[in-house]
Amino acid sequence: MYLLRRAWAEMRNEILVLPSRTLVLVWVVGLLLLPLAYDDAYVLRILTMTCIFAIFAASWDLLAGYTGQVNFGHALFFGAGAYGSALASLKLGVSPWLTIWLGAAVAALFGYLSGYLCLRLRGSYLSLATLAFPLIGLGLLFAFPDFSGGELGVSGLQRLIVGPTANYYLACVSMLVVVFGLWLIADSRFGIVLHAIRDDEVAARASGINTPRYKLAVFALSAAAAGFSGALLAHYLRVAGPSTLEVALSFQVVIWGIFGGVATIYGPVVAVFILYPLTEWLGSFRHFGELRLLIFAVIVLLVLLFMPRGLTPWVRDRVEAQCPRCKQRNSVWRKICRLCGAPLQAQVARAERLVGHQ
Amino acid sequence: MRHTILAIALAVAAPFAAAQSIKIAVLGPMNFVQGENHWAGAEMARDEINKAGGISVGGKKRTIELVKADTNEIQSVPDATNAVERVITRDKVDFLIGGFRSEAVLAMQEVAMDYKKMFLGAGAADAKLGENVEKNYDRYKYWFRITPTKAPDLFRTLMAVLGDIGNQVRTSTRTDTPKVAIIAEKAAWTEAIVKGLQATLPKMKMDVVGTWQPSAVATDVTAELSAIERANADIVFTLLSGPVGISLGRQMGERNMKAVAFGINVEGQKDEFWQASAGKANYVSTLDTYAEVESTPKTIPFVQAFKKRYGKAPTYNAATYDAIMILKAAIEQTGGMDADKLVPAIEKMEHVGTAGTDTFDKRHDLVWAVGKTSGIAVQWQDGKKVPFWPPNIKGMQPYKMPAR
Amino acid sequence: MLQDILVTGLVNGGVYALLAIGFSLIFGVARIVNIAHTAFYMLAAYCFYTLLTRFNVGFALAGVLSVLGVTLLSLVCYRLVIEPVREHESAVLISTIALGLIFQELMLAAYGGNFLGVPSTIEGVMRVGGVSIPYQRLLILAVAAVMLIATWFFLYRTRVGLAIRATANDLEVANLMGMNVHRMAMVTVAFSVGLAAIAGVVATPVTAVHPFMWLDPLVTMLAIVVLGGLGSLKGSIIGALIIAYVEAITVFTLPEGAHLKGAVALGIMVAVLLARPEGLFGVAFEEER
Repeated sequence: MYLLRRAWAEMRNEILVLPSRTLVLVWVVGLLLLPLAYDDAYVLRILTMTCIFAIFAASWDLLAGYTGQVNFGHALFFGAGAYGSALASLKLGVSPWLTIWLGAAVAALFGYLSGYLCLRLRGSYLSLATLAFPLIGLGLLFAFPDFSGGELGVSGLQRLIVGPTANYYLACVSMLVVVFGLWLIADSRFGIVLHAIRDDEVAARASGINTPRYKLAVFALSAAAAGFSGALLAHYLRVAGPSTLEVALSFQVVIWGIFGGVATIYGPVVAVFILYPLTEWLGSFRHFGELRLLIFAVIVLLVLLFMPRGLTPWVRDRVEAQCPRCKQRNSVWRKICRLCGAPLQAQVARAERLVGHQ
Repeated sequence: MRHTILAIALAVAAPFAAAQSIKIAVLGPMNFVQGENHWAGAEMARDEINKAGGISVGGKKRTIELVKADTNEIQSVPDATNAVERVITRDKVDFLIGGFRSEAVLAMQEVAMDYKKMFLGAGAADAKLGENVEKNYDRYKYWFRITPTKAPDLFRTLMAVLGDIGNQVRTSTRTDTPKVAIIAEKAAWTEAIVKGLQATLPKMKMDVVGTWQPSAVATDVTAELSAIERANADIVFTLLSGPVGISLGRQMGERNMKAVAFGINVEGQKDEFWQASAGKANYVSTLDTYAEVESTPKTIPFVQAFKKRYGKAPTYNAATYDAIMILKAAIEQTGGMDADKLVPAIEKMEHVGTAGTDTFDKRHDLVWAVGKTSGIAVQWQDGKKVPFWPPNIKGMQPYKMPAR
Repeated sequence: MLQDILVTGLVNGGVYALLAIGFSLIFGVARIVNIAHTAFYMLAAYCFYTLLTRFNVGFALAGVLSVLGVTLLSLVCYRLVIEPVREHESAVLISTIALGLIFQELMLAAYGGNFLGVPSTIEGVMRVGGVSIPYQRLLILAVAAVMLIATWFFLYRTRVGLAIRATANDLEVANLMGMNVHRMAMVTVAFSVGLAAIAGVVATPVTAVHPFMWLDPLVTMLAIVVLGGLGSLKGSIIGALIIAYVEAITVFTLPEGAHLKGAVALGIMVAVLLARPEGLFGVAFEEER
């Protein structure tokens, strides 16, 4: 009883005080309870894919958003994970439950290598150079079709688990664990260092931070998460093919990331949860199903015109305000700060926000 | 909450259909020629059957309802699997036909087999699809490939036609060993054929002067062609499915090359090829499926009706027509729609289709025989696609060589 | 074989250079990574195709109209989509990706996924040292050369060009000196897209027109620009030649590996970046100066 009361108090004080945290709670509970309330194979399939791509998008954000290494070739890690796990489970006959970790490790290795190649590159150079990496990988896959299956990819993989609901829970729980993990990392001391590297690498180095080491670490970490999602998808579809390395997928993850709002981790996840089912839903219409990508691109463009920093920061600014004194966040309808008691005036907050933007 | 909204929206989007009709999903990349032909062939079959009252299932006539599903498979493999799941669980279709890109069809096959739905392929050539049936019959038996024939059979057809062309080249160039340049896109489907060519051509008294392997998505083969021209080839053997097929035909014409191109040139099978190559691709030849020749008694009426309705000739993907006809025959024979009974019925069937006489082997692939399922070979002659092989079929015309 | 390599590399290098210079210029002046750059190239090709084969207006008129039309469209896009979010680098980036996708899907919806062909502007083949070169390719080379000289003249011999170079050099100082930075950005966008459109018009007769034709040159162009150094005119031209020759050499010396030409070219780019992170002729990063 005491524990229950304690938990409730924790929840009221830490989660329900902020609209954004409340939303996250509702979302998590909703995801976990969904199959009980609405057990539909098609919806579960779409959400399974959504969860897998959410991991992918969140991993991109750790690298691009937090560390400022705007990777245009993130599909390399996704593909490395997919092929790594697929080949290991097929050629060595190991259970996919083990090989997905191998896939993530292979991806991490590729991440480390890309990071190494990119150490001295900045900004646009880095973005454009990384765009090339998955394409070089694609060239190699086609050069050794005996090994990689060429344009057909590796097929006939074992499933991790059978049945739509089981697969959904697998993807959903993996997503929650990885995303919260990434979020914790991003919020830790490690994350603060990454912030510093993005904002001013020279200053970070001058403060005694071994920036190359951090960059390599974050490349490997982000790649491992991306590879993990790639491996999940490969075993879910039972095919790992060259489409996991295409430019389109690399662009897709950039769109998700920026649409949701970079340097948030949850932003890209929200973006995937909105955009992926949306495109699928658009595609289900007989008459304009073929136009789904067009409608998708137009929506992205319009949303960005009004929310240039992405969706989640925009929404967050509407429902929450920053305390001018202690910088803690409060819901907009509060008169005084929940922690330090300083008055929260809308004007003050707005002025703060404007300053914050520049 | 978002999911509830989504679910409601999806439920509203799902159409309400008459309970009596047989629902067939047509899966394909609907923005592309392949998908257009999938759909067109299926429409032809639907209208023909419904006009006659429908398919009789256990004495009752039931009409066909087609569900058009854009798989977007050329751009995204996950999208394709989602489309299959959607038509099965939302639209509640009874049968699936279509599919094109092998990587996507392999994944689509899995979803269909999960639900034990009959899936009649009409586009993907990868042998793996059939091997699955042989290896794990109970799971994959619901898959049949209506078209195309598998890669080793394509090789046999190619060799048969090449023999004929080689003889013509020998008489026109007065050489005993014509020189052959192989240009094959780097892809899994060409690999076995290329190895086979390199081994077999010397036995057929032909010289292989080189093998060029551009990427499947390349659009420019200038460099490759310059090299082929320099090698002085008499025959350019093509294995191309992408846009390179167009540039190749066009540039060979522009360079006035004396060599003739033969092989598989998927773009060359389309009616648009002549326009796309700016009228330069004279003498280019390729294997093909449909022409106004008597491959079977059904071919000429089908091709003519197709041309009349859609303004162009069908490609091999229009074999969705045959897929529906095979289903009809099997349903009427077994008197029901139970997939487990339909499968053995189709296995035993000999179906006279629009492009050939179809029987299936233990991989549920077509059994190959010249004049039965080998397909035909066509050549572009002054803007017209002219069929020239196999010579014993009524309606074939002679193969032409460029003036020397 | 040597002469084959020389000629093929030169001709392909010309088209690549036209695309790369425009892209590099926009980046230098306006700091926009314009992913949609080659999508404008594609639009020009479609425009040219439609005017030529559906309306029969003749080569010259079709070409001029296509280039003008696409250039105007780029200005409209810039005003409507890019300018409102100019302050947010990432929003600009994704806007240009979205624009490229929109153009691709519009063309896909309008023309389908078919490959379309445009008749050659000039027919016939020339033989030089045993290599046959279609006149169309010579035309491409000539147009590329003329446009490169025109670009040089525009940038180094006119007042507007001076202003553009000044803006590229230091945006803030140029702004303080009373230059209208926004107008400079507009002029640069129009000029760069114009170059891309010209490339689209002259190069379509040697390739096929289709909705995905912008992706391949996009990657090649990015590799060239990064290799040569972002924002450097000289770098773009030399980068274009290097990539074109690397591709040609791959195809001629390694026929069975012809499909690797793209991967090899990208590999060269990565190798150069390892040695010189700012590209061959790029400016070193501020912090390291």
